[in-house]
Amino acid sequence: MADGTILSLVLYLPLAGMLAIAALPAGRGGAVRALTLAVMVVQFLLSLVLYANFDPAVPGLQAATRVPWIPAWGVNYIIGLDGYNILLVVLTTFLGPLVTAGAFSAITKEVKLFYAMVFLIQFAMLGTFVAQDLFLFYLFWEAMLIPMFLIIGIWGGERRIYATIKFFLYTAFGSILMLAAVIYLVWSLWSTTGVNSFAFADLYKARLPLEAQQWLLAAFALSFAIKVPMVPFHTWLPDAHVEAPTAGSVILAGVLLKMGTYGFMKLGFPLFPDATRMAAPLLAWLSVLSIVYGACLALVQTDIKKIIAYSSISHLGYVMLGLVSLDLLGIQGAIVQMVSHGLVAAGLFLMVGMIYERCHTRELAAYGGLAKVLPVYSVFFLILTLASVGLPTTSGFTGEFLVLMGAFNAAWKPGAVTIPLGAAVLAVTGVVLGALYMLWFAQRFLFGAERVPHAPVADLGLREKSILAILLAAVFWLGLFPDSAMKRTELAAREYQELVASPRIPAAARLTGTPQVEAAK
Amino acid sequence: MNFTAVSIAMAPEHLLLAGIVSLLVLEIFSDKPDAALPLAVAFVAAAAGAAAWLGFTGYVGAPFPGQFDLTPPASFAKALVLALAVPVLLFSKDDFGRGEFYPLILSSLYGICLLASAESFLTLFLGIELMSIPVYVLVLLGFRRPESAEAALKYLVLSGTASASFLMGASLIYGSTGSLALESFALAMGSPRLLAGTAVVMVVSAFFLKAAIVPFHGWAPDAYEAASVPSTAFMAVLVKVGVLIAAARVFGTAHVAEPLAGLLAILPLASIVWGNLAAIRQAGLRRMIAYSSIAHAGYLFFAFLGDGPGRFQAVMFYLAAYGVMNLLAFAALPSHPVDAERDKLDNLKGLFHTHPLAALLIGMAMLSLAGIPPFPGFIGKFLIFKNVMAAGYTTYAVLGLVGSYLGIYFYLRVIQYMFMTPQAAASGHAPSRGIAMGASLLCLAGSILIAVLPGLFLARF
Repeated sequence: MADGTILSLVLYLPLAGMLAIAALPAGRGGAVRALTLAVMVVQFLLSLVLYANFDPAVPGLQAATRVPWIPAWGVNYIIGLDGYNILLVVLTTFLGPLVTAGAFSAITKEVKLFYAMVFLIQFAMLGTFVAQDLFLFYLFWEAMLIPMFLIIGIWGGERRIYATIKFFLYTAFGSILMLAAVIYLVWSLWSTTGVNSFAFADLYKARLPLEAQQWLLAAFALSFAIKVPMVPFHTWLPDAHVEAPTAGSVILAGVLLKMGTYGFMKLGFPLFPDATRMAAPLLAWLSVLSIVYGACLALVQTDIKKIIAYSSISHLGYVMLGLVSLDLLGIQGAIVQMVSHGLVAAGLFLMVGMIYERCHTRELAAYGGLAKVLPVYSVFFLILTLASVGLPTTSGFTGEFLVLMGAFNAAWKPGAVTIPLGAAVLAVTGVVLGALYMLWFAQRFLFGAERVPHAPVADLGLREKSILAILLAAVFWLGLFPDSAMKRTELAAREYQELVASPRIPAAARLTGTPQVEAAK
Repeated sequence: MNFTAVSIAMAPEHLLLAGIVSLLVLEIFSDKPDAALPLAVAFVAAAAGAAAWLGFTGYVGAPFPGQFDLTPPASFAKALVLALAVPVLLFSKDDFGRGEFYPLILSSLYGICLLASAESFLTLFLGIELMSIPVYVLVLLGFRRPESAEAALKYLVLSGTASASFLMGASLIYGSTGSLALESFALAMGSPRLLAGTAVVMVVSAFFLKAAIVPFHGWAPDAYEAASVPSTAFMAVLVKVGVLIAAARVFGTAHVAEPLAGLLAILPLASIVWGNLAAIRQAGLRRMIAYSSIAHAGYLFFAFLGDGPGRFQAVMFYLAAYGVMNLLAFAALPSHPVDAERDKLDNLKGLFHTHPLAALLIGMAMLSLAGIPPFPGFIGKFLIFKNVMAAGYTTYAVLGLVGSYLGIYFYLRVIQYMFMTPQAAASGHAPSRGIAMGASLLCLAGSILIAVLPGLFLARF
């Protein structure tokens, strides 16, 4: 089978799965669960084939499918894999079966609708990653909102309706401005060059005046920054995470948040490079603010889920810092950090879900000394905690270390500075803060006097142990052998660096002080 | 006048007329009222087929030169209107098993078809009146509540005012350009004379009133609420389509310059904002849809800021998407023994548990009306704002898009009620009826087609 066909299969399998469970009679919860898990596993195995066949030495799209869709508007259906999305696609398909299996015992009402929505969001997330046409990307980007809206709103906690509407309205606000920017971008490409196209490859060639670039970057950046989320656009996240069912939190933290950083990497920065370089110091400070502020907030939370939610804000700040650094190490680190956070945060949210199912509270103060009562649970939790802190040999270390290297390289680089040295130094304190809040959390949670609500509780079952073991295997694989993954993203990282670091319009070269390549010609 | 040209070019209209006559004859002589619905559906579907056939064969003709002409886009516009009428007829079964409903609908459709072909202000006026007059009766038909009479009267008076304003504008255009042909409107728009300017403003206000643009929108929520659900659907979709087709005929492909562009942006913008905000406070789906349609009329008039053939295309595409999704919501709404209770939002609470398919379909319709991708409403909105930007009105386009954001909340609230709120104590909705579900599935098929293959529709207009 050609790779293009496999990619289409991977993308559309969830949709087929959704229709299949819609056809199952009501009240067959077990069949729905089994079918969902089976489809998710097949999807993951197929994506592994794609990962294995992905040629790291070939730049540009692989396994691509191109079909004209709305020729009058220049809209094409283009999907494909490249170094930007290959790891994220595999991350999404990897988490799919784990999310499904993780929800077996937690979701008991409206089972059919729930797994249909999990399939739908899986489809939309994969579509967002593989779309190579801005119109298509926008469709998938927005389509993600609907299943998440329902997942939080139907199966969530007490304040679920407030949380889900806040989530929808926040993200939709960013999207509507992005839509205006998309329309303007394509129209100005058409009116200046006569190319009527939404394809990313064509849009990268647009030479917009600096002022237009700044407005468009602001619109795209707002949308992506809300999704990441970057401080100060983060206030929807803790509510959404706390109220969402475990599966919703795992999808949110595992994949959905990466949409924002992926959007910056694939679209926001490379489309408007001159404006990006001008805004880089500001973006760097905002990233560091996210790292430090997120960590400080995580430190003072009393709700377990909130601690992990705020830690997500902090960890994604590193991703942004790496992207802004425009240094190869930093960019590679950002990509690894995206995947690493996807694995670790997904694991932590799954574990919070497991303890919540047993003890029915998320109050940290209600717990203590779990290590004695639930030894297996505690071991897994401690390892994930250490991975979150960034212990060497885990994926968290690879990501954060590379990002910080990149940040310092960028800060010390002669000429145009994208990251002020102060910001880079402050980012390091985030590592210390990260260790502080996570270890303190683990200490209060696992050790000390024994406090277990609804005792006696059973330790992890086979299903839960397998989910966590698989997750940890991936965490260590990425920590010990990052090479396999990083060599697949290297060309994309170089392309991103090239796209953003070189001036697109001559005037911008003067303004941002970069070498005048264009003007010299 | 050429007889063959008249019989071919006006085939859809003739079929509608034949339908009206047969329905009236049936009403008088038959004691089998059940035949009315299939008969009406058959004639409307045949007329739609005829219009589509004229469009696909590329028929061009002017049976009454200067008054009525036919081009493929006009044929496709008629086909769209008639096709949209089919689900309305189908789901009217519960409310109107028999009676005057069908001939009235067909007469109104005749008026809309006339509009799509009108070449002069006279034909256009005939079309507008023929479209509107049956609707005054539709609001009253069934007369379920005392407010119905008030609402119908309000609608009659305001609609009459619009007609008067339109006639006044048309006569001023005749006075300033010496012609009643629709092209003279473009001349009047370009003319610096006060007379011409007044004429343009009067014609535009007439359209604003008929389409319920702020500040001429007061009649719409009352009329929509007072009417039975199929009549509301007919007003919200078909009449709006008719008014917009008329406006599109009048504006043609001429560029709209300032200061008229300002008028064409600010009042629709006010409609978008006010319609979307006021919809939040409504307790019934019909009133909510009324405010939503005020906002949608705003988007539609935004399309007039764009120019060239793209304008008609954008208007028609948006109408197709808007119409299909609105009808989907109305068709899927389960019936209720008490009409006033049928669409109360409180009664929709937990609808997913009692009527899962209806809830899913209404949910999709709401998301589409909110303009959330990948539903057809988004593609229509995209097309309109793309044209507005291409015409150089970037600021208006951004404001319009931000205005559309305000609408998301109240559509989401319907979904929240249906899916996330525990079931209302006794909503009392009847089980879904086969024929209404069929109508809604028809709309669903149409909307999937629009969303997946928009190019198919765009190429027709």
